[in-house]
Amino acid sequence: MLIIRMIFKEIWHRKVNFLLAVLAATTAVAFLVAFFTASKASERETARLMLSMGYNLHVIAKDADVGVFLMTGLADKTMPEAYVGKLAAQNSISYNHLLATLERKMKWRGVEVILTGLAPEVCPPGQQKQAMTFRVEPGTAYVGHHIAEVLAVQKGDTVDVNGKALRVERCLAEAGGLDDMRIQCSLRDAQEILGLPGRITQIKAVDCLCFEKGDPVTTLRKEIGSILPETQVLQVKSLANARAKQRQMIRNVFAVMLPFVIMACGVWIGVLAIMNVRDRRPEIGLLRALGYDTVQVMLLFLGKALLVGLFGAAAGFLLGTELGLRFGPRVFEITAQAMLRPESSLFVLACILAPLFAMAASLVPTVIAVTYDPATTLREE
Amino acid sequence: MLILQDLAKTYRTRAGEVKALDGVSLRIDQGEFIAVCGPSGSGKTTLLMMIAAMLRPSRGTVQFEDRDLYQMTGAARAKFRARNIGFVFQMFHLVPYLNVLENVLLAGAVARSGDGRARAEESLQRLGLGHRIGHRPSELSAGEKQRTAIARALLNRPKLILADEPTGNLDSQNAEGVLRHLQSFQRDGGTIIMATHGLAAQGFATRTIDLREGRLA
Ligand SMILES: Nc1ncnc2c1ncn2[C@@H]1O[C@H](COP(=O)(O)OP(=O)(O)OP(=O)(O)O)[C@@H](O)[C@H]1O
Ligand SMILES: [Mg+2]
Repeated sequence: MLIIRMIFKEIWHRKVNFLLAVLAATTAVAFLVAFFTASKASERETARLMLSMGYNLHVIAKDADVGVFLMTGLADKTMPEAYVGKLAAQNSISYNHLLATLERKMKWRGVEVILTGLAPEVCPPGQQKQAMTFRVEPGTAYVGHHIAEVLAVQKGDTVDVNGKALRVERCLAEAGGLDDMRIQCSLRDAQEILGLPGRITQIKAVDCLCFEKGDPVTTLRKEIGSILPETQVLQVKSLANARAKQRQMIRNVFAVMLPFVIMACGVWIGVLAIMNVRDRRPEIGLLRALGYDTVQVMLLFLGKALLVGLFGAAAGFLLGTELGLRFGPRVFEITAQAMLRPESSLFVLACILAPLFAMAASLVPTVIAVTYDPATTLREE
Repeated sequence: MLILQDLAKTYRTRAGEVKALDGVSLRIDQGEFIAVCGPSGSGKTTLLMMIAAMLRPSRGTVQFEDRDLYQMTGAARAKFRARNIGFVFQMFHLVPYLNVLENVLLAGAVARSGDGRARAEESLQRLGLGHRIGHRPSELSAGEKQRTAIARALLNRPKLILADEPTGNLDSQNAEGVLRHLQSFQRDGGTIIMATHGLAAQGFATRTIDLREGRLA
């Protein structure tokens, strides 16, 4: 008689025991799947929000006048360009997309413009992301919409800015803001034009939207302040921060509950396995009397646990995905449905982990089963 | 075929030591039908378990043909048991989720004694269970259950059948049927050791052994 056939026949014979065990595995898997489906969606939503938010962190020199900065968007004091390298060198920090700029108001061909030098965007180690702004090559310029219109600048022109010749790479589309008044060039060129070698006025960055409690700007000030004491930090507040905070909290509650739920399900499966083993003491004794060895008896119980895990994985994946899709949109209001989708990789993972989990939970009862002395069990009843 | 020498078994319990068997020496030849009698608690089951290679004696040896059972490794003993010894219990010990045929075949998995299925079916026919092959134990009468157990015990063509009060749960008619089947195994050259209270059962035996408080009377 094949062990596998025996396992299936026994399951059929004691359906309730099996179904209860599968229910436990289903609960554990569903919880995990719902959690990870929601977490993935949360990550995607955060990423999208970060992009749409633009640079919302501004690091300026400590002696810069905040009032002027708030009124004009320009810092009136400079700081060393090396600062951006220092920030970018940090591990595990709460900001990304570092952009060093040197901005100054100046008169050009009789018009007030903002000369803006841009360094290539840099990211901290291990957080490489696609840059959020264009990269300006030395010797070229991007001219804002209003300036281009008023002064009839065209793409391909070579313009003279305070003695420095720049080729116009592009005239930018209308932005409806300060950007329409900018001439953007590489940081080097701007430093040369303004006579401020090695200086910048501002580092722009994007915060990670990963703060759970407290005011993000306090945390960021502490973080950046410890690296660059000669600076001050301003954060553009937005609804995104509040939403992100709420999401983090929900995630945290889940994360705290997760081990308990998993443990409870493990105990549940273990208890059912113990009951099953007790019911089957005479059967185990008989098999031993018939010459079955411990490995074969263990296979009988571990094989059943494996099936509990497999069925639980399938049912749990369906249930967890359904829960995630149904209740997720309430949590992820902005990206909602578009970002929530079944994570098929979780199914594979569940099919591997759930059987291992069920077998681990059944291990103690299984060991108990094989240690039964057949001489004792066979005389019972 | 079987030589028991000075067999003793002492169980250690919380309430103290229990001498279940105390110096039993015995020689059993092939073809014998032995009835082991004695009051409850006299050590009959203990003796059978030791002969079955399932219970290590506290003292003494069990020799089956030329082999000392308790000198073998556990695995070897299990295999030896599967090939040479058949069991019939008072409580039948059928697996509830397997049908009659599957219960019988259960004994064949370890011994791998050739085409079990044909032999099992034939044996079940002879035991009058041909029409019950696909039934579950819960659908059988007590007599049918015990006959299934006998078919299981016979499957590997063992040399020895150990029967522990095989008729204890049967009415006299069924009991007689079961005993007749055991007898026919003995007449074909098999050896039987049967623990029993019943006088009727003793009538089938070629020799009766009396146990009193773990000793031969
Ligand atoms: N596992 C055990 N632990 C402790 N004592 C035991 C154990 N098994 C048997 N005994 C004791 O050993 C003695 C012999 O028991 P055994 O079952 O061999 O008797 P028996 O002759 O088969 O009795 P019965 O006719 O009632 O089946 C009894 O006193 C019993 O209480
Ligand atoms: Mg007994």
